[in-house]
Amino acid sequence: MSITNLLNNWSFYRQKRPFRGQYDLNKQYSEYKWAMALDLDICTGCNACTTACYAENNLPVVGKERYQHGYAMHWIRIERYWDENMGEFPESGTSFLPMMCQQCEEAPCETVCPVGATNHTNDGLNSQNYHRCIGSRYCSVNCPYKVRYFNFWNYPSTAWPSPLQDQLNPDLTVRTKGVMEKCTFCVQRLNEAKSRARTEYRLVKDGEVVPACVQACPTNAITFGNIVDPKSKVAKMWKNQQVDLYKDEQEKDSSMRGYRILEDLRPFPSVMYMERVRDMEA
Amino acid sequence: MIHRLLAAMFFVFAFSGMANAEPFKWGGPIGSQTSDGYNALGPVVQQPIEFPHYRHARDMGINCMYCHTGARRGYVSVIPRIDKCIGCHQSIESVRNKPRIKKLFWYWDHKEPIPWKKVNDLPDYVRFNHERHIQRFYFRQNRPVREVCGYCHGDVANMTVDRRVKALSMGWCISCHEKDHRENDVSMKTSHGPYECWQCHK
Repeated sequence: MSITNLLNNWSFYRQKRPFRGQYDLNKQYSEYKWAMALDLDICTGCNACTTACYAENNLPVVGKERYQHGYAMHWIRIERYWDENMGEFPESGTSFLPMMCQQCEEAPCETVCPVGATNHTNDGLNSQNYHRCIGSRYCSVNCPYKVRYFNFWNYPSTAWPSPLQDQLNPDLTVRTKGVMEKCTFCVQRLNEAKSRARTEYRLVKDGEVVPACVQACPTNAITFGNIVDPKSKVAKMWKNQQVDLYKDEQEKDSSMRGYRILEDLRPFPSVMYMERVRDMEA
Repeated sequence: MIHRLLAAMFFVFAFSGMANAEPFKWGGPIGSQTSDGYNALGPVVQQPIEFPHYRHARDMGINCMYCHTGARRGYVSVIPRIDKCIGCHQSIESVRNKPRIKKLFWYWDHKEPIPWKKVNDLPDYVRFNHERHIQRFYFRQNRPVREVCGYCHGDVANMTVDRRVKALSMGWCISCHEKDHRENDVSMKTSHGPYECWQCHK
């Protein structure tokens, strides 16, 4: 960022984020704000999103032993919970929660990076620059969702023995040892869609681009889109569930299922989850 | 006295590092150095056929995008396939016996692709979109094609084999992205290129 740019847009840059109207088409601050809505009632915990993410984002398979130590590199993981008091059939109380980087508006990870490798883009994404990262792991410590993954080993030399390296995605770096990484909302796809849209003098249409997890979801539990556009599917879902991006405490009907995880920590995440509803009497 | 000593020390340090480095030339055309003084011309590339860009682009006035068809459509500008060459050259009898054309037809007859080498090669972690630059400056602003391509590739139309003439470093990219460019050839509205890390770094 040049000094002129900084001075010209001083009032914009010195604002506390997210400020109301930051993602508003009329205000011209940003044309995009990528967001998700995830319906836990539809999610079956099938792990297709995780698999798709491994394929799309060049994630290494770490092996059983390292997995047990918690070194797995899944950018999206399925967390499993058990509801209590399920009576005769406790196994029917399983519930799943796909957890990926929430692309927080006021991200705790961004403020602590000593080298500025992670910062916020205009699209409301929490970017991670692998070549600037020095591996201090401070961001991972500060992340309340624990969705940042560190390369403790030099996975490129072991994870894809020949000829498996041919299946790597060329749109993405293969991360090496000592680098932090995390879910990017498949930024390589977003960038491509944005370029295409700009060439055709338009904005990205709703549903034109989706991350790999959304594409792979067999039950369409995940909705992805541009929340700046009030007509997009994801913006409508947020609105219907009365979840407001700029609030840390939602005032909503108790019948509404929408919520954001750890909202009271004020990271203002971009992913809305919709609670699972159980019919306990049946 | 002290000045001479310093100057001597400078030369010792400056040239001792050069012994191991790639072919290194002081100076060079403007814009060919990175911010730390590294000459970014890169090693001399030996192409399988000494392709005369000046013949095609300058003498014949062929648009760059006649052969580099990807430039207006996508990320890579594309080195053309051999059938693109043959498509014209099979009907140009006057140069058929020139050594380069004979070599071209040798590849064609043996059904082999020409092993061209990449000259303007960016690191793997950089994503450069030809399409956006061409669409913006060539199609929207109606600037001449040799000028638009020349911002990064230099005056290829006066070269034989293409040579890298610009630094293609990050600071050099940003130096242009900082500038206010007019949005099209009629409006005076300007905008600059994107700054975000994720726009180029992947």
